[in-house]
Amino acid sequence: MRRVHVVGAGMHRFGKFPPQVTLEVLGAHAATAAMADAGVAPADIDAVYVGHVFGGPVAGQRIAMRVGLSGKPISNHENYCSSGATALREAWIAVGAGICDVALVVGVEKMTDRIKGGVRPDPGDLDAAMGFIFAAGHALSARRYMRDHGASREEIAMVAVKNHAHSVHNPYAQYQKPISLEQVVNARPIADPLGLYDCSPISDGAAAVVIASAEGMRRLSLTGPAPAVAACGLVSGTVLRGLGDINEEDVSARAGQAAYTFAGIGPEDIDVVEMHDCFTIAEIVRLEGLGLLPRGEGARLTMAGHTSLGGPLPVNPSGGLLSRGHPVGATGTAQICELYWQLTGRAGGRQVENARAGLAYCKGGSVSGTDGASVTTVIMTA
Amino acid sequence: MTAPQSFDPAVFRTEPPTLLAVRCPECGVTSFPRRELCPYCTAELVEVEATPLSPQGVVYSYTVVRQAPEGVATPYVLAYVDLPEEELRLLSRLVGFGDMTPDLIGSPVRLVTAPMDDPEDDRLRYAFEATAQGASA
Ligand SMILES: [Zn+2]
Repeated sequence: MRRVHVVGAGMHRFGKFPPQVTLEVLGAHAATAAMADAGVAPADIDAVYVGHVFGGPVAGQRIAMRVGLSGKPISNHENYCSSGATALREAWIAVGAGICDVALVVGVEKMTDRIKGGVRPDPGDLDAAMGFIFAAGHALSARRYMRDHGASREEIAMVAVKNHAHSVHNPYAQYQKPISLEQVVNARPIADPLGLYDCSPISDGAAAVVIASAEGMRRLSLTGPAPAVAACGLVSGTVLRGLGDINEEDVSARAGQAAYTFAGIGPEDIDVVEMHDCFTIAEIVRLEGLGLLPRGEGARLTMAGHTSLGGPLPVNPSGGLLSRGHPVGATGTAQICELYWQLTGRAGGRQVENARAGLAYCKGGSVSGTDGASVTTVIMTA
Repeated sequence: MTAPQSFDPAVFRTEPPTLLAVRCPECGVTSFPRRELCPYCTAELVEVEATPLSPQGVVYSYTVVRQAPEGVATPYVLAYVDLPEEELRLLSRLVGFGDMTPDLIGSPVRLVTAPMDDPEDDRLRYAFEATAQGASA
């Protein structure tokens, strides 16, 4: 497979926007920003890959026609919260295979006028009939993690404190304010032991990147720093059997292995992580599943500053989903924007010093009886 | 007067409260809810008769849900209940715990019927409630 590079990134700030700021407006803004950042024109783009969940049929084509990209091959990709990363993976495969040289990847979501009270699985699912919501699933995980590893409520809450502290330096984040441990622990309860600040918000937003082969970069005379997409792992959950540990994170371990093997590097080589912290506890158990932290140690290490900016393994310098916001289809590409900025030294006050390799993780959806629906792992190297 | 109906007769019988699973004749693994194909060995299960599950379980983890989508009254307790006999874990409501004790992990529970979220809906679904420690139904 040919080497694939990220040559530009652009975002629309995440947040809650009025109805006139439509999905198309958000997506077009990010697409235009990414092309401008790369220094390419719409005519230079060979194909467009769009990730979204709630955008309706052919949202990608609706966005493309606003920014001079109609007529191109355009495809829409849905894998719930890993939709944006899945769109990137499809583009990466096409560029890597030589099907095209320059591709635009857009992740976009307009949620605030569609979703109320938290997202939930497909309503036909038996778990949904019992009143399962994603927050409850993570609360069940948190309660068991605390019991099995002696972790405290405060250690888990520290994920939110850390990520909000990082977000202060991210102009694209929905929230750019620090919060205290007391605020997180004493917030309105959602599903015990998790409260409001343990949960990522409902958000609108878009994020886009331009990727290219070396041939594409030559054709367009692109000479700027262009980190490589060293691997895009994708796995789905497997059917659970027996009475094992719900925090085993086999699905994360398999997704990590898929990316490590392809990239030819290991967890010890990763300098910065963009992690799908849809809930505080999720950041902890997923880092452990990926082999980035020892099992059962994640909560304690978070409290000790291990995953803070300036620590040995900064996780979510962007603020993560908890603070940047979580427009579900856009999250995967927003993580790639952040790694691009980190690996090119353009991350400003949230820059991770000497970042040479980054990993981005998304987990999308649930299927009753399995340990997940889709997990993506992207490794980028400077 | 007719007996109250199950919210899903393929999954749950109300009298006595019984969860219906399917045991794969090929690999021996029990699946709940029942499926057309065994998720472990893909054997055809459509013609296989339902297997009742043990009504006794143990709480593996639990949470009190205090914010839910519209139409679902809060708070309610959701738990993973382990059925040690079948080595099966299922998600269920827990009922009858009143003021929550600090930690229900490991509590013995048994299967009961419970009303639906919608008060207009007179069908019954399943839940688990506490059993006295050591007692059997
Ligand atoms: Zn079987």
